[in-house]
Amino acid sequence: MNKLKPILAQLNKFPRIALIVIGLFVALGTFAPWLAPQDPSAQNLLTASQGPSVAHWLGTDHLGRDTLSRLILAANTSLVSVGSVLIIAMTIGILMGTIAGYHRGWVDDLLMRVVDVGLSIPSLITALAVIGIVGPGYWTMVLALALAWWPMSGRISRAVAVSIMSKPHIEALRVLGASPWRIYFGHLLPGTIGAVMVYATADAGTAALAVATLSFLGLGIQPPTPEWGQMLVDALPYLESDPRQVILPGLALTAAVIGFNILGEAIALNRVPRPLTRRMLAMRRTEVAGWSKENSDA
Amino acid sequence: MIHFISKRLKHSLVLLFLASVVCFTLVVSAPGNVAVLIAELRGAVAVPGYVAQVEEEIGLNKPLLMRYVDWLGDAVTGDFGISYRTGQAVSADLPQRMMVTGTLIAGSAVIATLLSLLLGFLGAFWPYKLPDRVSRGLALIGASTPTFFVGALMIYGFSVTFQLFPSFGFNGPISWVLPWLTVAVLPAAVLSRVVRVGLEEAMTSPYVLTAKSKGLGRTAILFREALPNITPVFINALGTQVGLMTATGIIVEPLFAWQGVGDYFLAGVRFRDFMVVQACLLIFLSFFIVVNLIVDLAVLMTDPRIRRQWS
Amino acid sequence: MHDEPLLSVSNLTVDLLTAKSAIRPVDGVSYTVRQGECLAIVGESGSGKTVMNFAPLGLMPTGVTTQLSGSVRFDGHELIGLSEPELQHIRGKSIGFIFQDPMSALNPVRRIGRQIAEMAELHLNMTPRAAEARALELVKLVGISDPAARLRQYPHELSGGLRQRIVIATALAGEPKLLIADEPTTALDVTVQAQILRLLKDLQKRLNMAMVLITHDMGVVAGAADNIVVMYAARTAERGPVDKVLVTPRHPYTRGLINAIPRREDPIGSEFRGLPGIPPTLGAPIKGCAFAPRCDLAIPACTGSRPPLVQSVDSSVVVACPVVNQGRAAA
Repeated sequence: MNKLKPILAQLNKFPRIALIVIGLFVALGTFAPWLAPQDPSAQNLLTASQGPSVAHWLGTDHLGRDTLSRLILAANTSLVSVGSVLIIAMTIGILMGTIAGYHRGWVDDLLMRVVDVGLSIPSLITALAVIGIVGPGYWTMVLALALAWWPMSGRISRAVAVSIMSKPHIEALRVLGASPWRIYFGHLLPGTIGAVMVYATADAGTAALAVATLSFLGLGIQPPTPEWGQMLVDALPYLESDPRQVILPGLALTAAVIGFNILGEAIALNRVPRPLTRRMLAMRRTEVAGWSKENSDA
Repeated sequence: MIHFISKRLKHSLVLLFLASVVCFTLVVSAPGNVAVLIAELRGAVAVPGYVAQVEEEIGLNKPLLMRYVDWLGDAVTGDFGISYRTGQAVSADLPQRMMVTGTLIAGSAVIATLLSLLLGFLGAFWPYKLPDRVSRGLALIGASTPTFFVGALMIYGFSVTFQLFPSFGFNGPISWVLPWLTVAVLPAAVLSRVVRVGLEEAMTSPYVLTAKSKGLGRTAILFREALPNITPVFINALGTQVGLMTATGIIVEPLFAWQGVGDYFLAGVRFRDFMVVQACLLIFLSFFIVVNLIVDLAVLMTDPRIRRQWS
Repeated sequence: MHDEPLLSVSNLTVDLLTAKSAIRPVDGVSYTVRQGECLAIVGESGSGKTVMNFAPLGLMPTGVTTQLSGSVRFDGHELIGLSEPELQHIRGKSIGFIFQDPMSALNPVRRIGRQIAEMAELHLNMTPRAAEARALELVKLVGISDPAARLRQYPHELSGGLRQRIVIATALAGEPKLLIADEPTTALDVTVQAQILRLLKDLQKRLNMAMVLITHDMGVVAGAADNIVVMYAARTAERGPVDKVLVTPRHPYTRGLINAIPRREDPIGSEFRGLPGIPPTLGAPIKGCAFAPRCDLAIPACTGSRPPLVQSVDSSVVVACPVVNQGRAAA
């Protein structure tokens, strides 16, 4: 229990709404198969393109599949693929970043130049180029996105690694003759991973957008696996007659991304002082009111 | 000034060279034998010796370096080879496509700039008050909504429900509105935060206290003191966003049935038409490099501190 | 009417409320400045001397809420309780400000000429062309060579001393009656400090302005000011004419400050005489004398209640020290 406390204290610093949305997304994603009320891929053309009913709370799509179940399952698809992308991207990024931060010199210059180039090309273009060469598929998508994503975590982990390496206790360890391996695995790597994880979480929203975008273009998650972007593009031809099927997956995805973006904004350092909230102001006023005022002048 | 421009130009040329190498290697390293692919396309893969003939035709049997030089020489003159899918020259309708994509990006950049300045100033003028909350909320939603969803909503709202604008085609300004708006949403959201945060940071700086001590009002301080200070930052961010618009174009062009470079690139990716992918990629990368060059020059014009370093 | 001082501050208390804490950087301070006079306000950093002058005029950083009480009368008008637009009208026009750091006080991306001229446009209703001419005049007035060229330059192209001259020219552009200079020489090279100080003094005499000179440097005070207020931890320790306070300092803190000035007869390499200890951090008002913990004369009575300001032998000097004032408090 004691170990939980600092984690909870950390969480308390972030906006509650962001935590709720992200929590909901992760919970839905994890337990989707048990939460979905119906089989998401069971087709029934007799009940196709229907509005909300007792049987189908959010209606059905053009093939008669239950929209609610598909939306829930899509959270699972999204969570798994975003998780895979981020884990692979972070592994590459942290590895490159810590190596650059540990070695400095030309290794650092070279790696960071690669990172700069990677960051200057929109991730969608990088990912599409890879898919165009290798051919579409689930793992191609994951790898292509990871390839487009690692420069960001590479840059962050390099910055963290450099600051860790310049700390006095690392210098002391070196003087004491600790092996490079011990410094790298014992101190540099654990410290960097922790810091990069936080940024990576905030970046999960953009990754979810990328997965959905590739699926929308037909180059990511392939049917029949439900995915928000792909559900949206499937329903697009019926936009005029059944806009609900387009809007629902769009809203679900937007909500998840908003959650991550609020978190990201909270994490980004806020250098500008904010004016007091009304409650704080009242508190300070009563504090000051208790102070005596006396005229010291004779 | 001249020194800076010549240095920046040299830098850009190096980057262009690197970009061409990347594009070339990407296609060379593609799995599978291209000659077989073309032979298949032409329905002659079974003909003995035909694959070797194709290899000869597209220069596959030459050394890599020679192939690169040939390819680059052709690319510079606007010849991007033969499409594996259609068998026609890749460059056939490229100028037209570049014009379409250029229209999309230019219009969206203007809309995004105006919209973000409006939202950012609203927020900075009444910080933490209602206009600021609204502007912040809009920015958050704009930055979080996937572009394809924005496009779908635009079509549903302005084309299906209200029938104000056509939902597809590239026929004059009326048909440009929806694609422009769709592409502009994300950059407008991001840039409005740049303006808002930049202005607020500028408003806490010592020279603003000086301006206040001079008796200037809040409006005058925002426009005369803070705005010139965030201009270089804004131009930099705008440059990044304009670069990103090429990626957004890939989604938006097919959605509105525009035949632009993004649409071409996507088709190339879909049908694994390497020559098209390569050509579009080279165009995109060159575009980023040119945009960066323009941004650097614009920053140089707007920031006297940097200007002095180079004069 | 001629007898009323231009600026008269009485029993001013300032409370600053921030998200993290509430502090009282100015606690019941009074002083007056007459036309053509220069008042020096001396104290260590954090003694509230800057807040005291800036807060009543609405010049506080964002994110801080200011609560004022007491009275600040300027040119026959009460400043406390004025709205922001009313204060804005006074700033620049009637009161000019000079800031500590000329490096950051000027807008880096605007031409110097504009930054001066806009003052004349705003406060003297001049046309842009007339304002430019006035800017040129002012730049000549503050002793800058090649004035026309300077007006076209940007702040970063000038040295610190030149920039401070520009800041002074800007402050003068609205023809103020009072000049508030917040540590105008602190951020400058030693050689330039004296020049700027002489310029300020000269301008004050020539334009017959009142001046409040905020500084932590006793050396600056000696040549420039008529009267002095010594601040310690938000309160006045001693107040009086400069020639009296500097010659016979009464408050132990004033004595310590004067003692800390390096002297010519000090042997080279001799130890720097500073005041022992550190000033208290500002927060809630301190019960007794704030200086007691650092004072070598302190007696138990010092920590009991706040020492009142009492007239000393010379009636023009007031001191807040129970030890020095022993027996006088009752009188």
